[in-house]
Order: sequence, then C-alpha cells, then structure tokens
Amino acid sequence: MEWLFFFEVSLAGLGFGALYALTAVAFVVIYKATRVINLAMGEMLMFGAYLFFGFAAGMALPVWLALVLALLGGALLGLGLERIVIRPLLGENPISVFMVTIGLSSVLVGLVEIIWTATPRSLPDFLPSDPIFIGDAFVAPKTFWSFVIAAVVIGVFLVLFRFWRGGVALRATASDQGAAYAMGINVPAVYSLSWGLAGMLAAGAGILLGSVAGISSEMGVFGLTVLVVVIVGGLDSVLGALVAGLFIGWVESLAGVYLGGEYEHLMTFIILMVVLLLRPWGLFGTREIERL
Amino acid sequence: MRIGSPKETYAADEGLFRTRTQWAWFGILLLSLVLFPFLSNLYWLYLVCLISIHVISATGLNILTGYTGQVSLGQAAFMGVGAYTVAWLDNHAATPFVLNLLAAGGVTTVVGMVAGLPSLRVKGLYLAIATIAASFILHFVFLNWESVTGGARGMNIAPPQAFGHELANADTFYWLVMPVTVVMVLLAANLFRTRVGRAFIAIRDRDISASVLGISLPVYKLMSFAIASFYAGIAGGFYAYFFGAINPESFPLLMSIFYLAAVIVGGLGTILGSILGAVFMTLTPELLRYGVDVMEPFVDDASALLSPVRTMVFGLLIVGFLLFEPHGLAEIWRRVRRFFHLWPFRN
Amino acid sequence: MSMKIRTSRLLFGVASGLALGGLVSGTALAQDQETTVGAGAGEEDAIVIGGSIPMTGVFAFAGLAFNEGMRDFVSWVNEEHGGVNGRKFRYVGQDTGYDVDESVGVFQRITSREDVDFYFGDSTAFSQTINSELNRRDILMTGASFASELNNPEEYPLQFLLGPDYTEQVGILLDYIADEQPGARVAFVHSDTEFGRDPIAASQERAEELGLEVVETLVTPPGASDISGATLSLRRARPDYTIFHGYVLAPIPDFIERSRQMGMETKFMGTYYSMDQTIIDEMGEAADGFMGVMPYRYYYDQEAPDTEILGAIHDMHDEYKPTMYIQAWLAGVLLREIAQETLDAGKELTGSNMRETLDSMENIDTGGIIGVPVTYRGSSIPVGRIYRADMDEGRMVPVSDWIELE
Repeated sequence: MEWLFFFEVSLAGLGFGALYALTAVAFVVIYKATRVINLAMGEMLMFGAYLFFGFAAGMALPVWLALVLALLGGALLGLGLERIVIRPLLGENPISVFMVTIGLSSVLVGLVEIIWTATPRSLPDFLPSDPIFIGDAFVAPKTFWSFVIAAVVIGVFLVLFRFWRGGVALRATASDQGAAYAMGINVPAVYSLSWGLAGMLAAGAGILLGSVAGISSEMGVFGLTVLVVVIVGGLDSVLGALVAGLFIGWVESLAGVYLGGEYEHLMTFIILMVVLLLRPWGLFGTREIERL
Repeated sequence: MRIGSPKETYAADEGLFRTRTQWAWFGILLLSLVLFPFLSNLYWLYLVCLISIHVISATGLNILTGYTGQVSLGQAAFMGVGAYTVAWLDNHAATPFVLNLLAAGGVTTVVGMVAGLPSLRVKGLYLAIATIAASFILHFVFLNWESVTGGARGMNIAPPQAFGHELANADTFYWLVMPVTVVMVLLAANLFRTRVGRAFIAIRDRDISASVLGISLPVYKLMSFAIASFYAGIAGGFYAYFFGAINPESFPLLMSIFYLAAVIVGGLGTILGSILGAVFMTLTPELLRYGVDVMEPFVDDASALLSPVRTMVFGLLIVGFLLFEPHGLAEIWRRVRRFFHLWPFRN
Repeated sequence: MSMKIRTSRLLFGVASGLALGGLVSGTALAQDQETTVGAGAGEEDAIVIGGSIPMTGVFAFAGLAFNEGMRDFVSWVNEEHGGVNGRKFRYVGQDTGYDVDESVGVFQRITSREDVDFYFGDSTAFSQTINSELNRRDILMTGASFASELNNPEEYPLQFLLGPDYTEQVGILLDYIADEQPGARVAFVHSDTEFGRDPIAASQERAEELGLEVVETLVTPPGASDISGATLSLRRARPDYTIFHGYVLAPIPDFIERSRQMGMETKFMGTYYSMDQTIIDEMGEAADGFMGVMPYRYYYDQEAPDTEILGAIHDMHDEYKPTMYIQAWLAGVLLREIAQETLDAGKELTGSNMRETLDSMENIDTGGIIGVPVTYRGSSIPVGRIYRADMDEGRMVPVSDWIELE
C-alpha cells in the first residue's frame, strides 16, 4: 500500500512535470536562438490560456477551433513581442533585455485583467474524464491526458527541431550566428521563428495548465518554477529542460505529500540555490568561458 | 549659462555641490522640505513619507544594481527582514526606536551578505535568479518561523516615541523619516567619491578588468550587497513603524520589481535617479486615479479598470524607458539642465 | 533609421516630461474626485461612512458588491427614514485594488478631508494595519474580513465583524457534522496564506472536543499549482467530511471532481467566501452537493421578500444580488441601529461611544438578513446556517436551522 501510494504520488508529479518540461522547452528555444532569458514566459502561457477561455467560453466556439485559434494567438503574441520589443534591444546588455521581459510580464497581466477581469475562472472541460489506472495505481485523467498531450507535442517538436529546415536553421543560429548568416540562413527570421514557436508552445502549456489547475491572472507565477527548471537543466539544453521538468515536478509532488504543501516551492528554490552554487550552467548546459 | 566655477584642487572638482548656485538650490530644497509639513494636508504628508521610504530603499538598490551591476530582485524581502527586526524588538525588548532601526539595518546587512554569497559564484542573470530564490526562502521563513515572526498573521508595531511624543501620524513621522532620508541619500552620493564607490563602478563596467586592477571581487561585491541591504533594512524598519503592522504578504516579489522599476525609470547609476524614480513610481498611480475619474462619465465602470491599467502602465514604463530612455529620468533632467547651461549659445 | 530612433526617443522624452509635470498637478486635482453617495458635502451633521473598497484586483467580485450594497443602503436609509434623527448618511468609497498600502492610502485620503464616523475595510491585513490609526482617530470600523484575530475587543477595540469569524464558521460546520454523524472523520484543506491558515489550529482542537476525528490537514501552495498529490493524500485519509478554507474558487471544483473520479464518498464543505451563488455557478457540475456555512439569507430565500431589509432589496433589484452585497447592507443596518441608540442616549457618534452601544445591545433585529435576533459576543456574531448546493434547483438550499455557537 505504501509503495503503491508512493508510486501514485510519483506519477502525479511526473504528470505535472510534463507541463514544466513543455514550458521549459519553449524557454530554451528562445534562449538558444536569441540569448534572452524570458521572464514573461509564465505570462505568455497565461495569455494563451485566457485566449482559449475567451474563444471557447466567451465566444462559445467549438473546442478544437478555440484550441487552434489560441495556439495561433500565442504564436502571434510571441512574434509581436520579438519584433516590437526584443529586436530593438539586440546586442544590448542582457540584463536590460531581462528587465524588459519583467516589464512585459506586467503588461500582459494588466492586459488580461482589463479584458477578462481578475476574477478566477475555470476552463471548459475538454479532456476525457474517465478514471485511468496503471496497474493498481490511480492517475487523475486530467493529469494523464495533459501528460500524453505534452509528450506528443514535445515529440513532434523534437522531430521538427532535428529534421525540418527551420529547426536546422534554429540550431545553426544557436551554435554560431555569424556562420549561420554566412551560409545563407536568414538569422532575423530565425529569431521570429523561435519566439513564434515558443509562444505557441507556451499557449499550449497554458491551456493544459488551465484545465488542470484553473486560470487566474496570477498563474504566471508558474513561470518562476519553469525558470528554475531551465536553470537546473541548463539554459541551452532541450534534453535538460525535459529531464529537469520531470524531476522538479516529481520532487514537488513528493515534498507536497510527505512534507506538506508549504514546502513545495521551498524545495524548488533550494534545488535552484544548490545548482547555482555547484553547477551554475546546469546539468546539461554548455559551460561558457569568459574572455577579456 | 554657467560661468565662474574654477577649481584649484581635485577634491573641489569632486565635490557634490561644485558651485554656489548648487549650494543655493540645495538650501532651497532643504528649506522647502522643512516648510512642507506646514503647507500641506495630511494626505500629502502621508504620500511624502511613503516616497521617503521608497527613496531610501531605491537608493540602496541603485548602489547594488546601478553602480555595482549586480541585479537584485530581493530588495523587498530584505526590507521584510528589517521590518521584522523592528517588530520583534518592539514587541520583546521595548528598546528605543533609534536602536531598533539601527538593529534593523544591521541584521539586514548580515542577511543581505549571506544572500549575496551566490554573487561570488554567479553573476548577471544567474544572480538575479538567485536573489529571487533568496526572497522566496525569506518569505518562507517569515511565514513559518512563528515564534519570531508571528507566522501568517504577522506582527503589530507600536509607533516610535520621541521626546514623550508618539510619532504616529504622517505629520509627526515626517520629522523622523525625512531627515534620515536626506542623510542617507547624501551618504550614498558621497560613497562614490571614495575608493569603495569607484571600485563598485569598476566592477560594474567589467569585473575581470577590475580584479586585474587589484580590486578584490568577493570583498567589494559582498560590501555592495551589505550596503544595499542596510538601506533596505532601514527602509523596512520605517515601513514597519509607518504602517504599524506587517505580515509575510507585505513584502511580495512584486515590490522588489517595483524598486527595480523605480531605479530603471529614475536612472541606473545615479543618485538623483533613485529619488526621481521613487517619486515618479509612487505618484503615477495617483495620476492614473485622476485619469480614471475623468473617464468615469464616458466609460462604463472606468474605476474597475484602475488596477489593471496601473499594472500595465507599470510594465510599459519599464519597457519604454529601457527601449527609449535607458538612462532614465535623471538623463532627461541632465538634458534640461544642459540646455540652460549652454543657453543662449545652443538652442 | 537613426532619424527614426531620434524621433521616437524625443517623443518618449516629451511624453514622460509631460507625465512628470502632469503628476504633480494631477495629484492635486485627484484629491477632489471620489464616489460619493447620499447627503451633500455641505451638510455639516451628515453621518459619513468611508470605505477602502477592492473594486479591482482579485477581490473585485466582492468589492463591487460591497460598493453597490453600501450605496443602496445609504440611499434607502436617507429616503425611507431620513437618516437617523434627521441626520443623513453619506458614503465615500474608493478603490484599493486589494492592495494594503493602497487601502491605507485611501483611508488617509478620505479621512484627511471628511469627518468620518464609520469605516469599511477590505482585508485582514488592512484591519491590522489601520488599527492604531482607528484608535487615535476614534473611528468605528467593520469590513470584509472575518479573521479570528480581529475578534478581540482588547486588541481591536474599534473593530467588529459582520458575522462569525473564520474559526466560528468552521465551528458551525463542525457542530453540524457532530450532529449529523457523531465521530465522523474530518479533513481540512487550506491554502498557505494568512486567510487559509486562520481557523485551522483552533478548529482541529474544536473537532477533537466534539468527538470528531481529524484524519488529515492538507496545505496547498498559493497560485496555480498541482493538487494531484493532495487528492491522493485525501483519498488515503478517507474522511467523511472535507472542509475547505482559504479559497474562493480554485482548487475546490478540481478537488471535488478528482475525488469523485477516485470513487470517494466524502462530503465537501466551504466557508463564507466560497459560498456565493456566483462562485457556485462557476464551479459548475462539481458543485452539486457542496455544503457550507452562510451567516446571511440569500437573495432568493423564500422568506426574503417578507422581511424589512431583504424586502427593500427585492424592491430595488429584480435580479440576484451576491451575499457580499447583503453583507454591506448588514454593515449599514447595524450602523443605523448603533447610531440611533448612541444618539438617543445623548452621546456623540465617536468610535468608543458607538462601541459601548454595540456591546450593550442585545437581540438586534437585522431586518431579516440573519434569521434570528443577534447579540454580539466579543466582536462577532457566532451565528450561521448550513446550505447545500442543489444543482436541480440551481441554488443553495438550507439544510439546517440557524446554528448559534455557545
């Protein structure tokens, strides 16, 4: 019984960890292509969830259409932010760009509260709700399906990243901008592509998160945990994002059950502190050498 | 046009106030600060006291972020440490407020240095993230160390006593907070005429070059954290006295972002910037409130828009200043001044 | 390109310059703007109700209702009764965005211009913060918070609550449970906030005293987080009753839904702020059978139209009014009673005089808002009733009589 319980808690943690992983991938894509640490990621995710809410509940569109529109909206948001705010700061001090993204997060929260008010809402149910059992272990259907969807999306993304022309361009730009440009890759287009992709991934993660935990204008706090995930995994490592996402989800779930809910985020930030002190470039990240 | 300001020594050239005109303006400023309480109503005094607290904290953050280049998102949590120190002493030791405030500064300095330890290992963005972690951990301590912090319900603080008077209302509290603010701002300005201040600037501009020049990075980075935390501690102590009650939710991450925004909007790396930024960021919501009231007859439920618009404007100010005016209000101010200095030669 | 940058920079500089200039003049003007209802500013002897009202932010759903309730009360009392002893009421409320610093600012702003007799606050933190200021200015206050800590006439002499404090709310639930199913297994689920933690420790003791077994106490971190682990713990504890506190909406519906998926039989209960019809509607299907404590009659209560106050509300509004709207009316009705008695005793309307009156009043008639005559015990009214969400009827139906704690 105890082991079964432990197993169930672990599954729940991994299920939620998939959402961390999905958002973390979006984070890493932006970082790889543009070297921006995007603190507005949590708010982009929130915006996507609210778009879905607006289309599905507000305008009463069918769920699949609302989903497509919300994902497109997320992508447009990413494209827009990159073009209007991030591009002009190209080559500036990374700290300025970082602070700009803090400002952006505030703008997005305000925007959502103006359009949809700050009242907390529930997303319309669209995931199947029949109970799922793996062996004897119960998995909440929402957790299960959000895990499956996140896994599929990440899988598709990895394939694109590896084989699609745009994905190759993205990786080429990440490893050497100058060389990529010389080889005829349209580097500014890659910037746009990365933000658009990330916006879409974030919107997807937001919709999944919203259907698991409800939506509110404060749900962007989720982005802070994702920040921890990418630091732990390594800012420029997709693999790191996946592993660390699942790991942090698992640890939080165990901490919440065995220590109490108040310890969940404490554990996360203690892990962050330890990683920053021992291995600041993360588990799978590239260690940068500073030159004068 | 500015004329007649010859210097004979380097010290004179480094002075805070280099001309007689500047001294005169400074005198006028001090005089108006003294006269202000007699001409103003209680609400304005309340606002000015609040601004003073913000100025102290923003000045501290500017020393750390603007002058030393170490981004911190922990300023509010450090203020919390100061506020809790004052509250604990007030409830358990009943020591005079001067002592409590100094203790708040002292305790926060120590906590700030511990929180600054990651700065020896990581820098830039990583450091900013480490300070987020530090503020989460501090929040956890405020919330769960119930025997000291009173847990979720927080603590009450009696108003400070001076000469048998309770400095409870803004009109009396002003006489406590304003002089301290002036002194602390002047001290901060003077810091950058010393070796320590110059070392900070060298570290900001290029830390490796600074260390090649013989500046010990660990010592000076921690010192910068210490000074910034001391300012935060004092500001937090005043905050506790001013509001009379604190709880863990009094010092959210958003408040740290507020101070960072104030420093950016005011101008990174200028003392004047901290002041202008704190004033601007405190008064902006007041202006928005006025704007909303004007819109009231034309827009349904205009007042329901106030707080989201405030959040949005807050973000737009950060983005806008970083994009278009990265040196902040202080630079605008300097431009205006330069115009008058060069007038009528340049127009 | 550089020209373009120069222009936008210039524009931005001009804009921020204008803004800075506007700030000072704007704030000076802003002082004269507010929402005022009732007696004109010229009337010297008006009874002034000030309010820090959270009309925006996360608590806006309550704040907008408070504001409307207070407005309606003031126009009702002035029109129907001509105020108290010919002295009319006036209400001045401003938005706080549910931010403590802002609430204090609003208090300072209103009290610096008005001779405020009575104040309505928006949060526990505000009540704590403003307490010493209230004592200095001798103003009586009530408001949105039901924090147990405020139910303390020694520490908070000039504040009273508009119903049972949170501990008493949970106490009423526990009384009901002990009655329905002696020895039942009870679990608490609360948020990790000041609001959420408030009644837990005292309620655990209270449950044991009543012979109930507390089998689990779960904490959920604030913000959007995963409750999978918590629901698993809850299933393991197998409670008969699960009491939520410190939430408005999320994660209650999700908890209920997942527990049903796991085949759990537990009955879910909530406290005042998760009990309004609008919240129940938002919970959707999950809400069916959700129970909780409510100190007031709902707008659609069968007996409502026959009572004085709810009848007046029905005359003014055809559509549903939230419980927070009724809460604001209760504040007004109590103030009227207190002011009446204080003036009749020939005393001035200072905070401490009014507090004395409140302490001396017994069996106050709330005009039907609360089903029984009430007497203040400490600073609260330990009375409430258990309601259950009936999704067939689409509303809350009472399942107990009015319960008064000892």
